[in-house]
Amino acid sequence: MKNALSGMERALFWTLVFATFAAAAAGLAARAVDRLAVAYETQRGSYAIVQVLAPEDPAAMAAAQAALMQAPHVTAASVMTSERAAQVLRQWGGEPVNPADIPALRLIEIELSPESANTDIAGDLTAWLAQSGITADVVTAPQGAAGGGVSRAVRTAALLGAVAFALVMALIVSLAARGLAARRRELVTVMCDLGATRSQAAGRVADEAAVLGLYAGLTGGVLAGAVAFVVLLLAIPGASVETLAAMILPIDYAPIVAAPLGAAIAAGAGARAAAGYFHGQAARLG
Amino acid sequence: MARLTNPDLELFERGILVRLSNVDAGYGPATVLMGIDFEARAGEVALVTGPAAAGKTTLMHLLRLALQPRSGRALILGVDVARSSARARAEAKRRIGYVAENPVFVEHWSAFENIALPLRMMGRRARDYAGDVRELVEFVGIAEAADLPIERLSNAERRRAAIARALAGKPHLILADDPTAGMSPADGRRVVRLLAEMRRVGAGVIIASQDEDLADAAPMERWRIERGRLTPAPAPAHAPEATE
Repeated sequence: MKNALSGMERALFWTLVFATFAAAAAGLAARAVDRLAVAYETQRGSYAIVQVLAPEDPAAMAAAQAALMQAPHVTAASVMTSERAAQVLRQWGGEPVNPADIPALRLIEIELSPESANTDIAGDLTAWLAQSGITADVVTAPQGAAGGGVSRAVRTAALLGAVAFALVMALIVSLAARGLAARRRELVTVMCDLGATRSQAAGRVADEAAVLGLYAGLTGGVLAGAVAFVVLLLAIPGASVETLAAMILPIDYAPIVAAPLGAAIAAGAGARAAAGYFHGQAARLG
Repeated sequence: MARLTNPDLELFERGILVRLSNVDAGYGPATVLMGIDFEARAGEVALVTGPAAAGKTTLMHLLRLALQPRSGRALILGVDVARSSARARAEAKRRIGYVAENPVFVEHWSAFENIALPLRMMGRRARDYAGDVRELVEFVGIAEAADLPIERLSNAERRRAAIARALAGKPHLILADDPTAGMSPADGRRVVRLLAEMRRVGAGVIIASQDEDLADAAPMERWRIERGRLTPAPAPAHAPEATE
């Protein structure tokens, strides 16, 4: 159509671009939070500490480490040295600790495979070490109310927040599209005079708004994707375009794909409602 | 094909485009038209004259299905206006060409696009209707202004564009509300003759105007409306025959 993006339509287009950009960016941020929470949960669940209780001789530590290296679900096992213990204490407490002040801890740090999440890993490892004549206590990451499940709450909050924000943006898109319908009011009036039904007249305007919303959503979605890519590139130490591209999963594109579709639907619905109202007014004399 | 059994449609098939029987109509609390009895047939031209605020435009709104009768019976193009669905009225409306006193257009569209709108609404493609619309703009005498945005046309040109748009869909009934307003007498008579020509293709034409002399421009039935009451007006001795 001639002058399709002149004046008010151009302003409307950029309003829709901004709204879809914000909604897509919120969706991408929610995805980032989701992935961080999953990574945190995985990392947390794949770490445990074994305290060797008996025998008390130094050879027992080496035997326990060797046995753990053979145990199911254990991918790595290393005796916690005084230096390592000092480093951990410094991380947690913030105060520098002299390794020489730390007594022999008789601790072994182990890393677990993801499959271990569904097993009683502490019981399994205790039994495994007992077969080698070693009595040990296995301390794994706490579950449930003891701190576990925080990531699930974070993921849910991120998802619901992004959906709520997207709904607000859809409302803004819908209201903005009513402006287009107002601009097409004379067309609706003329079509009404010429015998168009409400659905024909409103559909004509809604189609135009939906197409505008589609293009605006595409622009906003792509812009949000580009901005998110640059932010990740800057935020992740050592990240390159190649590594970042390899990290992206198909589901990460969901907000970008949803932006044009959502904008088209919201704009079309808003314009249809307004144009239908204008048709009703044009058709009602007396 | 099965024969139509609806008596209203049969009336339309027999060439009676409009039959108003004891119709009252108005806006809000005001009743503008009272006890209207009127009939218009295919191939005939009717001229309704009367002073300002006599009810001419309201009659036009009633005839173009924009206004519902309050009482009485209005049959227009085989549709009983008071009892029909919105869809049936919209369908009938598409067979009516209406030239408003102040025509409403899509102002940023060209005259050509505005005139072609009824054809687009019928689902016709641009390449199919372009020739017909060009003929129409030449017929009404605005060929040179056809591609200009309609907001740049003069009042007389806009009125001609409105006539062209009213004729574009090859309507059964053509309504013109004061089509000569603001025109010179010669231009006015030319416009009325142009509208009256449509009776030759079987359309019924109803013109409302304050100017009683328009009856001399072409053969037509004459009606007089005063204070909302419509009566047949006697033809002057020198007037052309309505059935010519």
